[in-house]
This record gives sequence, structure tokens and C-alpha cells, in this order.
Amino acid sequence: MSNISSYFSSKIDSLADNYSALVLGLVVLFFAVFIFGMVTAPNFLTYFNLKTIVRDAALVGIMAIGLTFVTLSGNFFLLSLKETAALAIIAFATSMSAGYGFEISFLFTIVIAMLTGSAQGVLIGLGGNPIVVTLGAAGLLYGLGAYWSDNLVVSFRRPHGAEWLGTGSFLGLPNITIAFILIAIAAELTLRFTNFGRQVYLIGANRAAGRATGHENFGMAIKTCTIASVCAAFVAIAFSAQVSSAQVNYFSSEFGSSGDMTIMVIATVMVGGNSIMGGYGSTIRSSLGAVFISSVDNMMVLHGFNSGPRVLAVGLMIVFSIMVFALVRRGSRSQE
Amino acid sequence: MDKIKNWIVKKPDLSFAILLAICVYSYFAFTNDFFATQRTGYAIMERFAVLGLVGLALTLCIIAGEIDLSIGSNAALAAVIVVRFTDSLGAVTALLLAISVSTLIGAIQGYFIAYLRVRAIVLTVGTLMLLRGVALFAAEEKTVMLTDFRVPDFISMKVLTFFSPASLLVIAMFIVVGLFMSFTRYGREIYAIGGARKEATAAGIDIKRPMIIVFAISGLCAGLGGCIIGLRSGTAQALGLQYLLLAGTVAAFIGGVSILGGKGGVFGAAIGTLTVNFLNTGLVFNVTPAFMIQLYLGILLMIVIMFQTGSRLFEDSQRRRQLLSDVDLRRLDLLIRKQKYQKPP
Repeated sequence: MSNISSYFSSKIDSLADNYSALVLGLVVLFFAVFIFGMVTAPNFLTYFNLKTIVRDAALVGIMAIGLTFVTLSGNFFLLSLKETAALAIIAFATSMSAGYGFEISFLFTIVIAMLTGSAQGVLIGLGGNPIVVTLGAAGLLYGLGAYWSDNLVVSFRRPHGAEWLGTGSFLGLPNITIAFILIAIAAELTLRFTNFGRQVYLIGANRAAGRATGHENFGMAIKTCTIASVCAAFVAIAFSAQVSSAQVNYFSSEFGSSGDMTIMVIATVMVGGNSIMGGYGSTIRSSLGAVFISSVDNMMVLHGFNSGPRVLAVGLMIVFSIMVFALVRRGSRSQE
Repeated sequence: MDKIKNWIVKKPDLSFAILLAICVYSYFAFTNDFFATQRTGYAIMERFAVLGLVGLALTLCIIAGEIDLSIGSNAALAAVIVVRFTDSLGAVTALLLAISVSTLIGAIQGYFIAYLRVRAIVLTVGTLMLLRGVALFAAEEKTVMLTDFRVPDFISMKVLTFFSPASLLVIAMFIVVGLFMSFTRYGREIYAIGGARKEATAAGIDIKRPMIIVFAISGLCAGLGGCIIGLRSGTAQALGLQYLLLAGTVAAFIGGVSILGGKGGVFGAAIGTLTVNFLNTGLVFNVTPAFMIQLYLGILLMIVIMFQTGSRLFEDSQRRRQLLSDVDLRRLDLLIRKQKYQKPP
């Protein structure tokens, strides 16, 4: 019995070792298909379509930039992003419909996001598993949002002070695209040129070394979770400004090509080529990942694919990215 | 009596879970006249059939020190397959097909996790999306439906007042998995790679076999759960069943698993699931909207996490204090010895 099983497992192993070349080949094939599709898709390579792609990428991209901080610091990812956004969108719309104006509503929403983010950060920093903590927080935040809004649509009347963010444009680019670009630049500069940014990399790459040099994960978890939550809240505000209303399930159902915004954001971070174990990657990668996913999606829409193949494509991209990363890392870094 | 006392002292997590289950049940039984009736018992067992499977799957994964995020997608895929093919192939063949597909998916996941040496959350978040795509493909982006409703009638038929064929099957599954976990080498290996992976590897356990077994069982449970949901309601959606992950995780954690792995068991999973079911059913009796149930589940999970993290921190500080006092004692000992050997001037 054990002979047979060891025989089979060694067979599978040698097969899988050959697969590492195969996986790389498949990635090359994937890019070839991508370029072929890009050239053959009608109206893909026009300026208007490129603008659409970046605009589509903006909302997921901003969230992904926030999440990148968490991932780089070695705290995996937050499963509560869309629920944070759901609570934030309700807070923003309720405050706007009560007539408080854009600035106060904006600050109010950001403060709420900071509170929820840092609360999760405290639990993670104390040693709770990030996945389980944020899974619980997700249920909690969604329930709070639904309870607050009575599960109804909260709408506020046009004209309102937030219109410039949702539907305005500057020099021919939508404001949300500009915000995406600015946030991407700011995040990258923070990571590269500030003490905080270098600490994120240190703690993510080697937690023991971080502790030895006086950089505990406790503060880092709080800071990075707050950043991710604030980014999610900003996306919620931009989305709410666009549609002048809010409901708690705006981010849960049928957002974009897949059913789930949180998973889409995590996919973006992974496809961008950030190491999910932390310490390696950058926010520029996440932004480019968002643009890449959005352009693949756009291309498949132009070719007339339904949502099934599109979700499948994103899923394949994630799994490939994981495999390539794991195979490249093999041997160079010890097992955790 | 002494035996019971010993048992409680030996298994504090499990006895806490049982106490919690009794508290929740009696709270609803006292505040609601219809809660402690035969029909409610049947309804609770029907819920147990699905949630128990998911709780069992997550318990096993967490015992092995990993967590399977793709469980909802896997269940949705199985539900779509079984509902779509029941009319053409017959219920039994469709069921076997769906379950073998989901088990195979689980085993492949387990193999790749062990082979690529990645954490399960990393890979399963990818397969979560991938399986949604496959399920959408299989369902052709529609809600698939049964036309023949004899199968739903059969699997929710009442047997022995409390049970249905579905819940009896699940209970049998619990017993088999429980025996497997406690009395076979393979089961002990799963505990070993969860609690102390490096030591287990050093002792010569190949990490692949337990990992494949755990994720295959997890896939099997998810698939069976999805099939039961799909066949009972007669419909299936490719994007549904996302809520299973939260409910299953809460059940597993109440059942006494530790996120560090190597702790907990099948009996705990059953108790944890029952607690969640009591809460769920009781809240439905009190006309609570669905999002509030999610809120309560979230709060429950947060409390359990805080409790676990707190107890771990406390244990750590106790151990450190113990160590320091040991060191102090030794130093004192040395001092005394030195003084003894020093000659008075």
C-alpha cells in the first residue's frame, strides 16, 4: 500500500517538476493570446477605450493600493474591504442626505473607516490571524451598515457638493482617474522615500529582524489596516458621489465582472506580482495589475464573452501568478 | 461525578462549547414557546445537514493549520452540477458526479499547496475565483432548476421525527470522519502537521499526504453540502452560497479549534455547528432580518478570536514570568553556593 502510494507520489512529483517549465510556457501563451486578442478586438486600441479601461480600473485599483500596504507588511489581506466600503457608503450618503455638505461628510466617513480599520489592526497586531479577524469583522461591518440604513437605498438630491468627484472631469480625464493616478504616485513615494515605507518592507520581509530592531508588527498592523480601510472608504465615497445614492449591497453583488469586490481587489494585488507573504512588491505593481485585469476584461467584453469566461480568466490569472511566484521562489527562500 | 470533573478539566474548550450550546438553546427555549418542539428540532437538524458539513470541513482544515476559503465556490459548483444533471442522468449518478468533482478539486488543491509550499489561503483565494468562473460556465450564467421534484421530497422526508435522509447521511459522515481522525495514522498525521509542522517533517511525515487528505475531505464535505442545498431547494446559482464560509468558521471556532492548528476535533465541530444553528433558528423565530444574523455571527467570531488571542498572550506572559523566576532561583542558588565556599575573612 505504502509502496504504491510512494510510487505514485514520486511519479506526480516528477510530473510537477516538469510542469514548472510548462507553467512558464502557459504564461507566455497567455500573453500571446492577450496580444492577439488586443489587436483583433474591434475598437480596442482607441484613445477613448484606453480611457475607459483606466477609469474601470480606478475603483478597484485604489482599494488595491491600500491593500498592498497590508500585504507588503506580511499581514496577508483583509477580507473586510467591501464591507468597510459598504459601511462607508452608508455613512457618506446618510450624512449627505442630512445636508451636512461634502467636506463634513467626507471627514465623517474617513473617520469611521479609520476607526474600523484600526480596530481590526489592533486585533491582528495582537496576534490574531488576519483572515479570521477580518472575516468576522466583515460580517459585523456589513450588519452595522444594513442596520443603520435599514437595508434601504439612501439617496441624496443633485446638485450636491460631491458631483465633481463622481462625474466631473479635468483636462479630458475623469476626476476619479486623476485621483487614482495621484494616489498611486503618493503611495509609491511613501513606500520608497519615507521611514514608514521602509519599515513596511522590513516587517514584511523578516518579522524577527523587525522585532530585533524595534519595529513591532503591532503598530504596523494598525497603520496598514487603517490605510487599507481609508482607501476602501474613499472608493465608497467616489462611487456614491457618482450615483448619488447608497445601499449596503452595492459592493457585494455583480460589481464589475465578478460577484465579489474584495476578491477582485485581492486578485489585483496578486496579479500585479506582489508577494503575498510580504516584503516584496510595490503599489505601482498593484496599479498596473488593476489596469491589466481591466484591459483583459474590456477585451473579452469587446469579443462578446459572457461573465463566466471573464471570471474564469481572472481566476486563472491569480492561480498562475501564485504558481509562478512559488516556483521562482523555490529554493531561494526557506520554507516559512 | 469525578469522571465528569476530570473530563471538564481535561477538555476546557469542549466543555465551554457544550455549555454555550446549552445556554443558547435554553435562552430561546424559555423566551419562545415554539422553540422546544419536535418540528423545530427537525428544522435544526435540517440546517445541521448543510452547516455541519461546512463546519466539519473547516475544522479539519484549521486542525491542519490551514484554512480553505474556496469552500463556498466549491459548494456552489457541486450544487450547479447536481441540479443540472439530475434530470438527464438521474439523481444518484448526478450526486456521485458532483461529489467526485468537488473531492478531486479539493485533492488537487491540497497537492498544489504541499508542492508549491504556499499557504492555503493564498491558493484558495485564487481557486475561489476560478471555481466561480467554472460554476458560471457550468450553469451557463443562469439559475439552474430541477423539473422533477421527487428528489427534493425524498431527501427532506421525515425519518424518526427529527431526521431526514440528508441529515442521517451527514451524521454518518461525522462518525466516519471522527473515527478516521482519532484512530488512523493518517488522521494523526493531520494533527501533527497542524500543531507542529517542522517537528512533523523532521519526524519523517511527508507533508503531501495529510494535506491532500485534508483538502479532499474538505472538498467532499463542501460538495456534499452544496448537493444537499441544491437538491433540497431544486435550484442552484453559480454565485450563491458565499455565506457558508463565515458560518462554518464561526462553528469551527466555537467547537474549539485553534488558529495555530493541531487542536479541536470532530465532536467539537458538531457542537459548534449546533450552537450556530440554535442561534440562527432562534433569531429567525424572533423575526430577525438576515443581515442581523450576519452581524451576530460576526460579533460571536470576534469574541472567540479575542478570547483566544488574549489567552495566548496571557500564557506567553506566564511562561516568561516562569522562566524569569527560574533564572532568578538559579542565580540565588549560585550566590548561596558561592557564599558557602567563600572563607570568612
